[in-house]
Amino acid sequence: MLKKDLIKRSPAVRIIGEEEIENVHFGAVLSRAGVGKTRYLVQIALTKLLKNEKILHISLNDPIEKIKARYLEAYNDLVDSIGYVDPQKALRLWEEIKNEKIALSYNENTFDPEKIKVYLKSFKKDDLALPALIVMDGLDFDRDLNETLTELEKISERFGLPVWYSMQTHREQDFAQSGYPVQLEKVKGRFDKAVFLHPKNDKIESVVLTDESRPNEYYLLDPATMMIVE
Amino acid sequence: MQRNLEKVRNIGISAHIDSGKTTLTERVLFYTDRIHKISEVRGKDGTGALMDSMELEKERGITIASAATHCEWKGYDINIIDTPGHVDFTVEVERSLRVLDGVILILCSVSGVQSQSITVDQQMKRYEVPCIAFVNKCDRSGANPFKVIDQLKNKLGHNAIPMQIPIGLEDRHDGVVDLVTMKAYYFEGQFGEKMVEKEMPEDLKEEAARVREEMIDAASMFSDDLTDAILEEKPISEKMIYDAVRRGTNARELTPVFMGSAYKNKAVQPLLNAVVEYLPSPLDIENEAIDLDKNEETVPLISDFEKPTVALAFKLEDGKFGQLTYLRVYQGGIRKGDLLTNTRTGKKLRAGRLIRMHSSDMEEVDEIPAGHIGAIFGVDCASGDTFTGSGVNYSMMSMHIMDPVISLSVKPLDNKSEINMSKALNRFTKEDPTFKTYVDKETSETIIQGMGELHLDVYVERMKREYSADVKTGQPRVAYRETITRKSTFNYTHKKQTGGAGQFGRIAGYMEPTDEWFEFVNKITGGRIPTQYIPSCEQGFKDCMAKGPKMQFPVTGIRITIDDGAYHAVDSSEMAFTAAARGAFLEAYAKAKPVIKEPIMKVVIETPNEFQGSCMGLINQRRGIIEGSQEEGVMSVIESKVPLSEMFGFSTVLRSSTQGKAQYTMEYSNYKQVPQSVAEEIARKKEEEKKEDQK
Repeated sequence: MLKKDLIKRSPAVRIIGEEEIENVHFGAVLSRAGVGKTRYLVQIALTKLLKNEKILHISLNDPIEKIKARYLEAYNDLVDSIGYVDPQKALRLWEEIKNEKIALSYNENTFDPEKIKVYLKSFKKDDLALPALIVMDGLDFDRDLNETLTELEKISERFGLPVWYSMQTHREQDFAQSGYPVQLEKVKGRFDKAVFLHPKNDKIESVVLTDESRPNEYYLLDPATMMIVE
Repeated sequence: MQRNLEKVRNIGISAHIDSGKTTLTERVLFYTDRIHKISEVRGKDGTGALMDSMELEKERGITIASAATHCEWKGYDINIIDTPGHVDFTVEVERSLRVLDGVILILCSVSGVQSQSITVDQQMKRYEVPCIAFVNKCDRSGANPFKVIDQLKNKLGHNAIPMQIPIGLEDRHDGVVDLVTMKAYYFEGQFGEKMVEKEMPEDLKEEAARVREEMIDAASMFSDDLTDAILEEKPISEKMIYDAVRRGTNARELTPVFMGSAYKNKAVQPLLNAVVEYLPSPLDIENEAIDLDKNEETVPLISDFEKPTVALAFKLEDGKFGQLTYLRVYQGGIRKGDLLTNTRTGKKLRAGRLIRMHSSDMEEVDEIPAGHIGAIFGVDCASGDTFTGSGVNYSMMSMHIMDPVISLSVKPLDNKSEINMSKALNRFTKEDPTFKTYVDKETSETIIQGMGELHLDVYVERMKREYSADVKTGQPRVAYRETITRKSTFNYTHKKQTGGAGQFGRIAGYMEPTDEWFEFVNKITGGRIPTQYIPSCEQGFKDCMAKGPKMQFPVTGIRITIDDGAYHAVDSSEMAFTAAARGAFLEAYAKAKPVIKEPIMKVVIETPNEFQGSCMGLINQRRGIIEGSQEEGVMSVIESKVPLSEMFGFSTVLRSSTQGKAQYTMEYSNYKQVPQSVAEEIARKKEEEKKEDQK
């Protein structure tokens, strides 16, 4: 019951849609530094954890301790957003789902999708349930990532896994003619879904950029928790 | 022995396996004139390092038992305990930390803070032992002491400050610059025995000044004089810095970091200076005991030679002259012929030969005064026992001891071996509280229990080598447990009328899961069960915990509440209520959804990056959960939780999957319910074993 309530409250589910989170090859969360890309990605991943599905969180910025802390914080924010929850119940649920998350931390310069492929193959080899989603945090989209993205695309296809990326934009940079941030413009052919976060007054506005079924849908998020402001 | 306790240091050397503890200790003993030749741990001369006094340690290149030794440096008495590095032997580390006043934490300048360093650090925190750090192996390719300092801060939460900077790294590592004196130190002579002070190289001056400023800034938090001197821009004396860093270190709020290469004989002497300069003397440490005559009230122990003696036996060894007991004297002093009491057994004994150890050599002494570590011959006691002089009945705090998680049957091959095995087991259980042994009543097999495969392997080897006991071992067995998952009620009447006095007792109540091993709550009112039978009820329930009804594994995590019952004026007895409790337990247990739990181990693998994926695959294959994996330079660290039952033979598999380049550590984490399919497998095996036994 609690799981269902939490999924319903998830800002990721409400903004992107529960099915749309997984029905993509590549999805992206864009914003400039410090707005909350990673926190939003963690909310996306939490929707899978709450269904007792494994996720793979790959970070090129954070050490694993920080990744673990991010998930606990995001879970607490989500629990707090539905009002009173028996703390024991919430703790028990966290204990149940937290081990479904696999945190991998790499150096940006040495990250190689091949390692991920080897690891995912071991799931298949041993007939284990594959992760349901990959979070890829920290790739520098100002660089030429064609090779890396091609490899990751192959992984996504081979294992049937959606990959959600963080994509950093820059305050001083103009948007492309299409209206997209230039980082996305360069690779837009590869991405099925993109959510843009940007500060608006004391809130964060989220816009789904690549979903024609949701034109002009804007949500305001609380910058402290990334929960939707009602 | 030194009676000026300000000039005494009791220190340990702790670190991850293969960080160079034993190598460093060898150098320390060489420079303090205790030995006249340096042997390497895996030296070409085949002698092995001096501190690894057990045969097995010399062979495997790991230190598996603390060897205590004594040396002198600049008029200071230093007692050193060399501690083991493998997690399976952490009881040795814990015991050493219990009696030490300070620790040198050794870290590898390439691998940095590794999993075992984290375990050792947690133990140091538990016993509040101040430490200084030594970043070793600065001569190795990829050495980066400042990365290690960052890890000390980030991973272990130490307020780590460099007290030196290296002069060159990797194959160009020549010496260190001391940031207090701002001089360069080089180490000359065949074994680096000549420490030569020179002006620091020009190209290091800027870096040294910058790092020194940061160091002084951190140290100033512990000294008003130093703070004033900084603010008023007065000259800063060396003494001001020494005092401030020493204060911070003793308060465990500062970790001064030194660096060098023990193997290449670089910068060991400055580390010895640091031991006397920054680590506490026995006078700086507050030790406590519990007064057994005053309801276990805590009492402070004072390093005063005139006060009644209080000493802790922290290690036992069997030597050719009988049992050798290592002691730390906290108060008073032990002289030859003194009458001591073992407060655990109440037995009185007379102190015989007292000695000071130098690894396997010994030096006879007349007394072991307060604040010192020594050893005594001919005392029958167990590790952890407290000895007191007349007038006090104190016991040192009990040590934190974990339950064993793995067992193995051992069978002597002949009569002589049986006698020797018995002697060996008797000794080992006294030496090591995490090593346990018992005879299985059903199979009559002798079972040994411990903290891991290697732990038991070493004891089996010691049985063979030191006690000439030829033994055959069975398959390692995991210490499964049973527990319940939901509340259930009982209402059981034990009634027997078979001639003579009858038996009658009725007990009602409920059982429910708890985090404790066993809890008993008595809610009987109105004398439905007379008070004198309540302990029998509790005992009856407790008896059932030893062997669970589901699969005969020990039961854990049960709270019993009794709230109703009945008795008979003539037929009720303690025996009847014990039997009723057993019946009630069985009745409720079956309804409480019993499950099997298995020990889960925290497994940390350190592997070259290229094998990260395959190492994670190995964890997957073993029902393991990967908590995370992190790249650290050329290595990846994989943290995972894996059931112990899946870890047998893991080292061989890991070696073959990584060309022998990965290593792992394993320690007990928690117990967790086994999946249904595994529970069925365990039940099937149990059934097979039963049939085998019946044959």
